[in-house]
Amino acid sequence: MQKATMTLTREPELSSPPRPDRTGRKSALTYKHRLSRLDVKLSPYLYISPFFVLFGVVGLFPLVYTFVVSLNKWNLLSGPGEWVGFDNYAAELNDPLFWNSLFNTMSIFLLSSIPQLIAATFIAAVLDQNLRAKTFWRMSVLIPYVVTPVAVALIFSNMFSEQNGMINHLLSFVGVDPVMWKTDVFPSHIAIASMVNWRWTGYNALILLAAMQSVPRDIHESAALDGAGFFRRFFSITLPSIRPTMIFVIITATIGGLQIFTEPRLYDATTPTPGGAHRQFQTTVLYLWEMAFQRQNFGKASAVAFILFIIIVAFGVLNFLISQRIATTDSRTDVKSAKRVLRRKAAADREEALAASTAGLPVDSPPSSTLPSGAKEPRS
Amino acid sequence: MKFSRRTKVGAAVACAASFALIATGCSSAGTGTSAGASPVELTVTTFGTMGMDALYAQYEASHPGITIKANNIDTGANAQTDAFTKIAAGSGLSDVLAVEEGWLGAIQNVSSQFTDLKAYGADSVKDRWVSWKVAQATDKDGRIIGYGTDIGPEGICYNSKAFAAAGLPTDRAAVATLLGGSGSTWDKYFAVGEQYQKATGKAWFDQSGFIWNSMVNQLPEGYYTKDGKLNVENNADLKSAWTKLAAANAAGLSAKQTQWDWNKGTSFTDGTFATFMCPGWMLGVVQGQVKTAGGDAVGATAGWDFADVFPGGAANWGGSFLTVPTQSKHPKEAAELATWLTDAKQEVAEFQTAGAFPSVTAAQTDPALAAGTGISAFFNDAPLASILSKRADGVKAQYKGPDDSTIQEKVFGPSTISLDQGVSGDKAWSDAMTLFNQLIVNK
Repeated sequence: MQKATMTLTREPELSSPPRPDRTGRKSALTYKHRLSRLDVKLSPYLYISPFFVLFGVVGLFPLVYTFVVSLNKWNLLSGPGEWVGFDNYAAELNDPLFWNSLFNTMSIFLLSSIPQLIAATFIAAVLDQNLRAKTFWRMSVLIPYVVTPVAVALIFSNMFSEQNGMINHLLSFVGVDPVMWKTDVFPSHIAIASMVNWRWTGYNALILLAAMQSVPRDIHESAALDGAGFFRRFFSITLPSIRPTMIFVIITATIGGLQIFTEPRLYDATTPTPGGAHRQFQTTVLYLWEMAFQRQNFGKASAVAFILFIIIVAFGVLNFLISQRIATTDSRTDVKSAKRVLRRKAAADREEALAASTAGLPVDSPPSSTLPSGAKEPRS
Repeated sequence: MKFSRRTKVGAAVACAASFALIATGCSSAGTGTSAGASPVELTVTTFGTMGMDALYAQYEASHPGITIKANNIDTGANAQTDAFTKIAAGSGLSDVLAVEEGWLGAIQNVSSQFTDLKAYGADSVKDRWVSWKVAQATDKDGRIIGYGTDIGPEGICYNSKAFAAAGLPTDRAAVATLLGGSGSTWDKYFAVGEQYQKATGKAWFDQSGFIWNSMVNQLPEGYYTKDGKLNVENNADLKSAWTKLAAANAAGLSAKQTQWDWNKGTSFTDGTFATFMCPGWMLGVVQGQVKTAGGDAVGATAGWDFADVFPGGAANWGGSFLTVPTQSKHPKEAAELATWLTDAKQEVAEFQTAGAFPSVTAAQTDPALAAGTGISAFFNDAPLASILSKRADGVKAQYKGPDDSTIQEKVFGPSTISLDQGVSGDKAWSDAMTLFNQLIVNK
């Protein structure tokens, strides 16, 4: 009733009298009004435009240019030749050396990312504890990241030297034969992965640590009160809470891992083919670099670059889909487990009531029966 | 990782922007004042050991207003990548750029990007070089794009201590005779090697790659025929040389060293191998490696000596040219510097510091060349100049095609390493042919 009368009385007030008044005000404010409207609508774009202009110049243009180059026969020194369409792509997809480089990239990527993420999570968990000299430990894990990859590669290259290297020397103490760190495929991948791990583990650990610290302490405390041990709390509280950060770390590690160049390039710089005498550890980026600047085939190199781009995008999409799936199954299980808990509680209450009735005690049945339905209501 | 890349890009952009400001600032100032005799800074890029470092100061002193900024790249292969990248980019090349014979073929394909030195007096000086050196630097339109620095006549470096241990003669004339003298062949060289290997159990040469280089360079036609056609598959000369090299490896003559590393030079001092392929410019490399390994680089205690003999006859490996890219802002001054650096007197000095044997005929016969130098002292006071002059006699220029260095490095490089690692000659050869078809024929 009240509502109806209010709308009825308001209606004429709004519709008829102010109309001429409004138009008059509008014409008086035209310029300023338009300016401020423009300001509101356009300025934000203007403010963010430097990024997009720069991106266009240093990101989009090279991308498009690379694509155009990849459709031509293009010599590094003498420039564009004839238009060949997608022939460069077809040739590369049939080139065993290209597939070799892709295999090496994947192998080094898996050997580096998986141990690296496990180690980083573990280190972050340790740093998350109440340690003495917290800042010291946290800065310490970041030090390898400060060292330039070139220096890292030179040091590791010496350490993994086959003839007088430190690693082989140490292995000889435990009776292991010298490993051909630079000649054999798998050992060389391990050596390069160890460089990547050494440099990036601490960095990822710090990112994960930041995520861990944002997990509310009271959850941990109440879990501890309920009797959950360190590992139980780590797997049931910490890990699920840092999942978004974990996904970010995994995606960046994937992109970096697929673009690895410096480490394999400098690991054995004496060979005529970059990435090992027989291309044992020639990664795809190294392969494309050799194709462009040593074999002088710019067209094919651009095609390789574009194929790599597509692979990385595919990996990104895959990661995204997986992470989304995790997120949805996650919420589903939440609801399910909540229902399960409530059902169990109801059953327990009923049992309790039953036991009480048989014992001849006064039964407090109404509240126990309403509890499940009442608790369910806000969720559904 | 993504973060770091972004910040790197950001930094690069910032740098580029500020650099652009500085650059434009500089260039506008430059055009304003360059009318007079303004100071000119010339950049020079060399590689390996070319022995020019001391000469720059001398040139600066005699040419007021000219300063030289020199950059030396460790190996020829790295210098090649550097030069190719900058040619492709269209900027960044030095005013004077050293080009190695092996990749001169690729440079000749884009010879228009290099200044025709005839515009700066090449015709008046071209008679100073041995004629084949000038022919190599002349493009198909008759322009001269480079001035010859050194040539690479090859002799045999040998370790006299290792020879003594095996009961072989140590005197350099006797070693030359032992290896066959003027009629030396690869068969003879490997036969003596087997004798040495049986006596000591040690390897005869450092690794197969350099032997292969020498064998190929000595052929009248290498990877290309004289008229510029690929000449690898079904090339009986190449195949027979390969068979000999494979047999030598099977006999355990190779020390399986990593070239340009040699266990950080140590292998030159501990008798890992007894002989070494030595074009003139390699003499400085040997000395440098011994120095790196902490050996005595001045006296003859390392035991290295140089014999006037080479298996299979006269051979030339490498040698370089000084070019002036058209990117240079001071082609006149740069050409003058290149002319001066390749003059007889300077080439003698380059030989004395680095052992780079002159391509200028007047320098080859200069008595100063024969005088004892620091590098001669390292090789047990061997008369390096007169030995190299004799080794240069009979050298024929081989036509080097545009993909010559790619075939050398990427087709046969892996297979010579395979030979060192014990792969059979046939397998290594067929691997090389597979690579040849992948990298060169179907490129």
